[in-house]
Amino acid sequence: MKSKLLLIAVLLTAGKAMAQQKHTISGTIKSKAKGETLIGATVRVSGGGGTTTNEYGFYSITLTDGNHKLEFSSMGLQTNHLEFVLRKDTVVNISLEDESVSLGAVTITGTSTKRSLSTPQMGLEKLTTKEMKNVPVLLGERDAIKVIQLLPGIKSAGDGNAGMYVRGGAADQNLILLDEAPVYNASHLLGFFSTFNSDAIKDIAVYKGGMPAQYGGRLSSVLDIKMNDGNNQDFGVSGGVGLISAKLNVEGPIQKDKSSFLVTGRRTYADMFLKLSSDSSLNKNTLYFYDINAKMNYELGEKDKLYLSGYFGKDKLGVGDLFGLQWGNTTATLRWNHIFNNKLFSNTSLIYSNYDYTISINSGSVNADIYSKIRDYNLKEELQWYPSSSHNIRFGINSIYHTITPGQVTTSETSQINARTLEDRYSWENALYVTDNWKMSDKLSATYGLRVSAFSVLGKGDFFNIDKEGKILDTLHYKSGDFVKTYVNLEPRLALSYKLNSTSSLKASYVRNTQNLHLISNSTTSSPTDKWVASTNIIKPEISDQYSIGYYKDLFGGDYELTVETYYKSLQNQIDYRDGADVNTVSNAIESELLFGKGRAYGIEWLFKKRVGKFSGWLSYTLSKTERQIDGINNNKWYNARQDRTHDIAIVAMYQVSKKWTLSANWIYYTGDAVTYPSGKYQIDGQTVYYFTGRNTYRMPNYHRLDLGATLQLKKRKRWSSELAFSLYNAYGRENAYTITFEDSKEDPNKTVAKQTALFKFIPSISYNFKF
Amino acid sequence: MTMRNSFIYTILGAALLLGTSCEKEIDLNLNGNDNKLVIEAVLTDTKGDCVVKLSRTKDFAADNSFAGVSGAKVQIYHNGDTTLLTETSTGVYVAPELSGTSGNTYGLLVTLGNEQYTATSYMPSKVPMDSLSIVEEDLFGDITKVANVSFKDPAGETNYYRFQQFIRGTKVKRYYVRNDDLTNGNDINTRLYILGEDDDDHEYDINSGDEITVEMLNIDAAVYKYFFSLSSSATGESESATPANPVSNISGNAIGYFSAQTVERKTIKVP
Repeated sequence: MKSKLLLIAVLLTAGKAMAQQKHTISGTIKSKAKGETLIGATVRVSGGGGTTTNEYGFYSITLTDGNHKLEFSSMGLQTNHLEFVLRKDTVVNISLEDESVSLGAVTITGTSTKRSLSTPQMGLEKLTTKEMKNVPVLLGERDAIKVIQLLPGIKSAGDGNAGMYVRGGAADQNLILLDEAPVYNASHLLGFFSTFNSDAIKDIAVYKGGMPAQYGGRLSSVLDIKMNDGNNQDFGVSGGVGLISAKLNVEGPIQKDKSSFLVTGRRTYADMFLKLSSDSSLNKNTLYFYDINAKMNYELGEKDKLYLSGYFGKDKLGVGDLFGLQWGNTTATLRWNHIFNNKLFSNTSLIYSNYDYTISINSGSVNADIYSKIRDYNLKEELQWYPSSSHNIRFGINSIYHTITPGQVTTSETSQINARTLEDRYSWENALYVTDNWKMSDKLSATYGLRVSAFSVLGKGDFFNIDKEGKILDTLHYKSGDFVKTYVNLEPRLALSYKLNSTSSLKASYVRNTQNLHLISNSTTSSPTDKWVASTNIIKPEISDQYSIGYYKDLFGGDYELTVETYYKSLQNQIDYRDGADVNTVSNAIESELLFGKGRAYGIEWLFKKRVGKFSGWLSYTLSKTERQIDGINNNKWYNARQDRTHDIAIVAMYQVSKKWTLSANWIYYTGDAVTYPSGKYQIDGQTVYYFTGRNTYRMPNYHRLDLGATLQLKKRKRWSSELAFSLYNAYGRENAYTITFEDSKEDPNKTVAKQTALFKFIPSISYNFKF
Repeated sequence: MTMRNSFIYTILGAALLLGTSCEKEIDLNLNGNDNKLVIEAVLTDTKGDCVVKLSRTKDFAADNSFAGVSGAKVQIYHNGDTTLLTETSTGVYVAPELSGTSGNTYGLLVTLGNEQYTATSYMPSKVPMDSLSIVEEDLFGDITKVANVSFKDPAGETNYYRFQQFIRGTKVKRYYVRNDDLTNGNDINTRLYILGEDDDDHEYDINSGDEITVEMLNIDAAVYKYFFSLSSSATGESESATPANPVSNISGNAIGYFSAQTVERKTIKVP
């Protein structure tokens, strides 16, 4: 009902605007050098007004007839000006030239890198390639996800942990999309690297609040990553060799101007070093990953374009012959862009994503493989309609069919383990949304919309009724195709911006998100074997309501930006574990190990950024609190969520010394995570064990670290350019705690001690990158 | 558990290889304990094994000598037959003539001052140990001798097992528990690995000529849950995100367990 009213309101306002004598300018904006379509490129109309390109480079703007000056601009590219008399609907396709073509040179970009003061979108962070390139990272492997974690409100889960925490959300509450396909495990090598090869990435946007209605399914954030389309002008090769990994990127036109391809691959070779080790406990071990990104696009005609993109990655870890673990993501996206007319743009996507892992155990007479996966088939249809210069409307549907295989145990003939397959779990997730970007006046804009989500738990399978203690009361059997339960949720989205003056604005937003896939991991460290579980009759959809307000100010002529955002989130149906929970044992009724309750998170985030010039960088500070209240934990009182961190600071600085050298540094500091330590001890069967008085009542030691980086541009020859990148991770050798364990002292068995293990002290690295 | 351990060791191994992993003792400001009563109560199918030990929790920083709690009245009962245990040393209560029978449920009643603590435990059927042997296995690159227990799991019932290992007369400080969830009705070889020892620590090395003793216990579901949760979340190894006191079968303001269990011991000389 609500949605109908909204749509009618939208149509009415749109109709009114069209009654005047106006015409539409539309087209695609691309980069001249590579023919890549540009996302978020700006079209500005002199005398006020403007628009930005969508995720396929398409724009449409409707203006009154007459003389107009248009300005087309995009980050790192030369701005184009166009002056003409508008009398009829016109298609204007624009190609923008590079400001700088070399790989190493830092591009000092124009005005378009500025975050926008007038769009209502808040809680959005975008990364430039420059930031991605120059921030020093572990082992020299450039990683967008690691750089994102230096922004306020987005926190790394710590050394050796894959996850990230956004505004108090847990690691599984981030929707990570690669060309629209959900990625269920975004890490390689236990979180030391992300699955995203920065060479293949065109655009990254992180929404930590105010998510537009086209996104849904996770509570805390959306990380929307788009791959490069591939150069449709020239054939090009680039690559890099580092201490532990090498990569290669090949792209080029299939048909000049019309179609292109891109293939990017990476492989680590850390395991080769393992083999060189004389330590017999290491040299038989395996530890590597590889991944491939591939994409091609084809222009069917002026109005139709096809894109096919895919990702395939695999990690392998082995301890001699004893134990093996491999895991990986596969995604594929087929998209069809169709321009119905100069005001209506359509995209249809068919998406496949899959995450699976296999554990192999081969010890004595225990021989078994355990296989688990989550797989999605996903259909999306979205229409973007530009009825007038003050409205930009999107509506769409999304339908995903999930299959989760929780665990298949296969064994050899001689194994003493019995083969067993846990029932596959099926679910169907549907969403319908509409959202409108409405420019009410020069000062006031709004984005408002509604997402209706429906999540159906499907048979076949056994579901349970359990009591308060987690005991199974009865088992309900469902046949294939039965609807076990359907959860329907209305998710309103609203964002407002008010421009105070030419250099500052205020924004406010409210967003409701729901989540029906939950990651079960009762461990201090994230593991590829953590389980994805869909909502059931007992596990209810997680719901979050987030309110936020922000203040945005440009300082010193726009060279500096100040952003202050504050948020309050209230969460329902949050999940935690019973004392002594066993979530790894192969069993159908995982619910009996879980407890459900509510949560709240609030905080304030400051970001002070210098965008342009030889010296650039930012200072970010977050003050926040994240709590849970779950009956059965800590006497039903509010307690700190694990990811609760009071203070979180990041300082990032980049300095272009000369044409050849760029230096960079970043320093981070955060309050240790909330953890459970023992408060006492006792003995059971002569062995010291520990006595606990509450969950998450203690803190890990505070974390801090300085990283340094330098990039040296080597001599250029014709098309060939190359650079050397140096980095020093953890420059002052801070021993940050990875785990803290408790044991009887080796020196004096009559004492117990707390022992901290840190993963890294200093890690220097060097890598060589080239391009031709 | 083994799986998870290997995983962590590999990460640490990789970090070690980079020459960067480091360990140190740290000081943590830990709150006081509640001076809680700890009950360890065992009744087996063998006379002389029935022991109930009472002690209390201590502060983390205190030493590891745990004084017994004396002056309690400790009773074990079954179908109206009640046996009063006698305190032979501080906090140790025994009933030398008392043994249990498979299929029976036993009750424990501890009275200390004005407080009462109760528990019940079912003595399951006894699964015989077929043999105890020593096997050699390549563990993280070292050929290691490991104790191996063979038995046949009965198909018709759910069984829970616990093992205790003694090397040269010293009890190994590890909890070994298993169920037959994935192994029901099979011939089982269970290996009692001793993981997590430092390279220079030889206390638990098994060498030729050593005497190895293994006790195989059949326990009930609640005691299995107790030892499973104890070993996964209370031994200080900190892999669990939610370390907690193990799930106890004792009611009243005490921690610990009461197990009515069968026991079979075998001793071999390492070849």
